[in-house]
Amino acid sequence: MTITLNHYLLLGAILFVCGAVCMATKRNAIGVLMGVELVLNAATVNFVAFAHYNPSFEIEGQIFAMFVIVMAAAEAAIALAIVLNFYNNHATVDIDTAEELKG
Amino acid sequence: MPDFFARPGLLFVLATILPLVSFLLILLASGAWCLARKYRETLGEGPYRFFGGDKPGKLPAYVALAAIFLAFVCCATGFVLYYLDHHKYLHDVEHAEHQIEELEHQLHETEDEATKKQLETNLNDYKKGIPSREREWQRLRKEKWQGTLFTLASIRPSALVDKERGTKLEIGYYIDSLATVMFVMVTFIATLIHLFSIGYMSEEEEEIVEDHYVHGEDGGHYKRRGRFGRFFMYLSLFCFSMLNLILADNLFQVFVSWELVGVCSFLLIGFYFERQSASNAANKAFITNRVGDAGFILGLLIVFGYIGTFNFEGIFTQLRAPIRDAHNSVKTSPVAGRIVRGEVLPLPEEEGGGPGFRFDEKGSQVLLFGRRPHVDVEDVLPTEADGSPRFLTDHGEPQTLTNNPGPADKSTMPYWMLVAAGLGIFLGCVGKSAQFPLQVWLPDAMEGPTPVSALIHAATMVAAGVYLVGRCYPMFTPDVLLVIAYTGAITLFVAASIAIVMTDIKKVLAYSTVSQLGYMMLALGVGGWVAGLFHLVTHAFFKALLFLGSGSVIYGCHHEQDMSKMGGLYPKMKITALTMLAGVLAIAGIPLFSGWYSKDSILAHAIGFAYVHPQHILLFLLPLFTAGITTFYMFRMWFLTFTGEPRDEHVYEHAHESPWTMTTPLILLAICSIAIAWGWPVWDAKSSWLEHKLHTAQHHAVKADFGHVASHHETWPAEAAKPLRFNERHWAHELHDHAGFLALFMVAIGIVFAVLTYYSRVLDPAEAKEQFPGVHAFLVNKWYFDHLYSVCLVRPAIIVARAFRSFDLNCIDGLIHAVSRGTVQLARGNGRFDNGFIDWLVNLTANVTYSVGARLRAVQTGFLRSYVLFLVLAAIGCFVVLSYFVAMATAG
Repeated sequence: MTITLNHYLLLGAILFVCGAVCMATKRNAIGVLMGVELVLNAATVNFVAFAHYNPSFEIEGQIFAMFVIVMAAAEAAIALAIVLNFYNNHATVDIDTAEELKG
Repeated sequence: MPDFFARPGLLFVLATILPLVSFLLILLASGAWCLARKYRETLGEGPYRFFGGDKPGKLPAYVALAAIFLAFVCCATGFVLYYLDHHKYLHDVEHAEHQIEELEHQLHETEDEATKKQLETNLNDYKKGIPSREREWQRLRKEKWQGTLFTLASIRPSALVDKERGTKLEIGYYIDSLATVMFVMVTFIATLIHLFSIGYMSEEEEEIVEDHYVHGEDGGHYKRRGRFGRFFMYLSLFCFSMLNLILADNLFQVFVSWELVGVCSFLLIGFYFERQSASNAANKAFITNRVGDAGFILGLLIVFGYIGTFNFEGIFTQLRAPIRDAHNSVKTSPVAGRIVRGEVLPLPEEEGGGPGFRFDEKGSQVLLFGRRPHVDVEDVLPTEADGSPRFLTDHGEPQTLTNNPGPADKSTMPYWMLVAAGLGIFLGCVGKSAQFPLQVWLPDAMEGPTPVSALIHAATMVAAGVYLVGRCYPMFTPDVLLVIAYTGAITLFVAASIAIVMTDIKKVLAYSTVSQLGYMMLALGVGGWVAGLFHLVTHAFFKALLFLGSGSVIYGCHHEQDMSKMGGLYPKMKITALTMLAGVLAIAGIPLFSGWYSKDSILAHAIGFAYVHPQHILLFLLPLFTAGITTFYMFRMWFLTFTGEPRDEHVYEHAHESPWTMTTPLILLAICSIAIAWGWPVWDAKSSWLEHKLHTAQHHAVKADFGHVASHHETWPAEAAKPLRFNERHWAHELHDHAGFLALFMVAIGIVFAVLTYYSRVLDPAEAKEQFPGVHAFLVNKWYFDHLYSVCLVRPAIIVARAFRSFDLNCIDGLIHAVSRGTVQLARGNGRFDNGFIDWLVNLTANVTYSVGARLRAVQTGFLRSYVLFLVLAAIGCFVVLSYFVAMATAG
């Protein structure tokens, strides 16, 4: 069985769904961050797959993948800083307690 | 100052300006007083006191008196200088002209050939002598006694060939015998009246003056501040206007002064303007004068349009045929000095064609001479028997009328236009001189203070009309002159008849003034130019005397004017009574009093005119009959006032003689009234010195129209040679005596009746009143003129005014009100729309936005997970939509 673009896309979709469900269901802030990582990785997989199977997209796909990875790192750093602060203030990482922005 | 020696005419200009200076001084001082009073709190009492304080001071009177007295001195000096000049040059001319007339008459009478030859030689000698003398005098007069002070405007059409001939509006001076006499008369009488007024108006010096004729709201007498300064300010302005009118050398300047005089009259009649009667009288005088002035303006416009100048000399030289030709010998052409009428007809081909002028007694055109400087009287002769048109220059060359270099390019004007201009100007004079039918204002003008009545409504302003008729004489056609004569005749009779029944002492004098002005107009109309103006001067003196005398009586009787309450005042006020008697004798025409000379002269001209034109006999009978009436009512006035039993004890007991400021003018005026017209021999009515002097001012046109024509030109058709009217010179002396005799007879009858009725009381006036109630009522009501005007003019005017008022109130105002109400309604609707709809719409938007926001609020749960859910759902939504479009695109 040869591995085609669709397999990669399917993987990306599964990863995305896992990440999205993780984000939507976890009350723990760290868990949500993990979901975010999964979603980002799903996108990275898609970019790399497209780069591989579409020659006209070769460089761009890889560079976008690199961007996503760098951005994910930056995001993790900032998000963890926020979580840490949140914890300092609320003594918990339960995101349901963060409801001050409610309209 | 040396200018005055070179141009002594400027003395009269100075005399004119002096009262104006006085007027301005008083005006400025009173203005300063008002300011000082208004700001006395900031400026302090000092300036307020300086300008007079609470009590009106005597200073304005002294300023005005000094100004008018100085003016009198200037005029008197100018008068003397003028006659020194005049005598030097014109005495010979007059003498020679007199000799020529005599010789021509002898030549006409004589049969003997040898005598005829001798006479002709003498005649030619005299004729040669005249021109150089007269030309010398003309030159001298132009240099010294005439001139232009300012040119206000100069209108020069660019198409004008001759650049000098543009129309100009100028202020100038023109001094002749008439002007000098008028100047001296006006300034002299005005000086005396100023002096008299200081006494008469002394009540006005008080801080608070009580007006007994006006009641305030509380029923008490009206109180006001005295108006001493104001009175003299008006007097000064009036004197300036009157002198400027006499000074004027053109109609424009006359018109300006004319209006100023009218304004002063208005202000002075309405001096006690709180009294309803006084303010009505002032309005009446002003409005009546407006009627006349409308005519005056029309006349001015016609003169301006056709003749193109306002200058008297300019107008006269254009209208009247020149009396001397280029060589300056005396002309004997029958049209010399007359208005030349004719027709404009085409010249024959051999003479160059174009329009030419044919003399015709009844022609529709009038030839304007000044436009054609080289035209001679001879040139308008119809030299051919068939009367073919000819118009020749000096050199005998035929000249058409079109190559004439005038500004309006007119060589002729329509005759009817000239008549209209004359009638228009005369209408102005009718208004000012209170002639029929505009005589109604003068008696009412007696509401003003008595010195004003004397100055304005007897001696000067009303004289302005007569003066102007005299000045403008050369532009009046025979038709206009006849109108003038009849107007005068009607006026003098109507006014005299009313004066008989008046009981107010001032009203008697007012009607007698109107009547005497009628005499003057009549004289001017029948060719008695000198007689009319002579009477103007003598009348000014004795009427001023009579008015001031009545003022003295009124002052002495504490403002009682009704003669039926006087009587027996002679012992109480002897000076007033005697001086007034002198005035009465003068106006009645008793021999040796000034009025006798002038009235005799008028009647002589009237009888001469009636002799030649028997159809106009009324022009002699009316003044003759009225001479008797005049005597009657004047003596009636004197007897009622000064003789008999006192009829009102209260008035009699308080009566007193007036102070010296009032009696001095009376005495001086009485002397003038008696002696002003004397000449040598005194008993000859024809020898008056004043009349002789005025004679030298007479325009040659008067003689050309009315005088004796000595020679008969062969080439003239018989009807052309006939003068307009004919006072046969050699009948004149005889007629003069007849007229004088008849007049004396009438005067005697008048005196006898007056003595019988009011002195010896043989006849009872009350009985006459009972016997002829209709006549009496007719006269007391002033021939119902006021009623007539009231019914015909005033009431219709009021009705029309009311109609317009109601139209204004109902229609115009209604319309405006409707519009405004509509606007209010519209604005209200607009407000409602704004409040209801626009605001509702805005509120609706806000509300919707609010409620949408409030609903959408719920979406912002604040739960991170629900946001993620939304994100996911939105992503899926986007995905679905995109894939739908991609599917569509791939399918398409």
